Amino acid sequence: MKEFDLEGLSREMPYKMPEHFLDDMTERVMSKISREQQEQRRRHKERRIYVLFASAASAAAVALLLIHPFKIGGPTIPDYESISQCASIDEVFQSMSTDELGVYSMMSNYYGN
Amino acid sequence: MKRDRSDSMNSQGSLSVSDESIARLLCDDNHVEEAVRLIMKKYGEPLYWHIRRMVVAHDDAEDVLQETMINVYKYRSTYSNEFPLSSWLYKIATNESLKLLKNRAGYSMSVDDLGDSLKDSVRAEASPDADETLLLLQEAIALLPTKQKMVFNLRYYEDKSYEEIHQIVGDSVNTLKTNYHYAVQKIKDYITEHEL
Repeated sequence: MKEFDLEGLSREMPYKMPEHFLDDMTERVMSKISREQQEQRRRHKERRIYVLFASAASAAAVALLLIHPFKIGGPTIPDYESISQCASIDEVFQSMSTDELGVYSMMSNYYGN
Repeated sequence: MKRDRSDSMNSQGSLSVSDESIARLLCDDNHVEEAVRLIMKKYGEPLYWHIRRMVVAHDDAEDVLQETMINVYKYRSTYSNEFPLSSWLYKIATNESLKLLKNRAGYSMSVDDLGDSLKDSVRAEASPDADETLLLLQEAIALLPTKQKMVFNLRYYEDKSYEEIHQIVGDSVNTLKTNYHYAVQKIKDYITEHEL
């Protein structure tokens, strides 16, 4: 059987490309690229806003720490100075009126103090 | 941007811009749209036919060409001047064609298993006045394993050198030569067997 001559065959395709197909395709691709660019710009803008807010929040946190530093370790206990500033119990009794002292004495008897 | 000296008027009188100029425009964010337009003008048709030979159906070729051009835009920063622009474009188009075929094949089949369905599409897609031998040739190509099909199409229709095909497909030149040899033999056998 004679071998088929492939090289002698036409390079033509048995299909057709629709008319104006490439022009339409170019416009479609360009409009998709334009949308893609807009989307990229939007994402870029969003990222910049996010970075701006994050930087502002960090700066505010650092400023707060400098102004009001945290006290680390348990509940705060009043120091001796602040206790010593309290009026003594005798001074309190001295400043009370006779009626108030009467009420105090009645309540002390009632509650057993 | 200034055009390259190699930019010239072709026989039809339209400006033929060199690949170097297009590549420079592509890397410049202010001229990227112009570069994509120039690529469509210069390579749109050959890329369409390269894709169509792989996927057969026009609708599929349309989707793949569009995705190819979008990827050209998206991945323009990956283009290296070490390779010709045309090889880079053909590589993207080939990968996108394979992606479509892989999606079509699904998980249970390989792309090579699509041969019969692609062969059936040849006649469905052909022009009514298509030459019978050309139809047989396309059927034979459709039945080839993917690698052989890619090498055969790029060499037979696009007249690419093995070095260029290596840049597109990635296999060694010797492997490509072997693939082409087997492809030609299978095609000849198919046409001889089916020709009236």
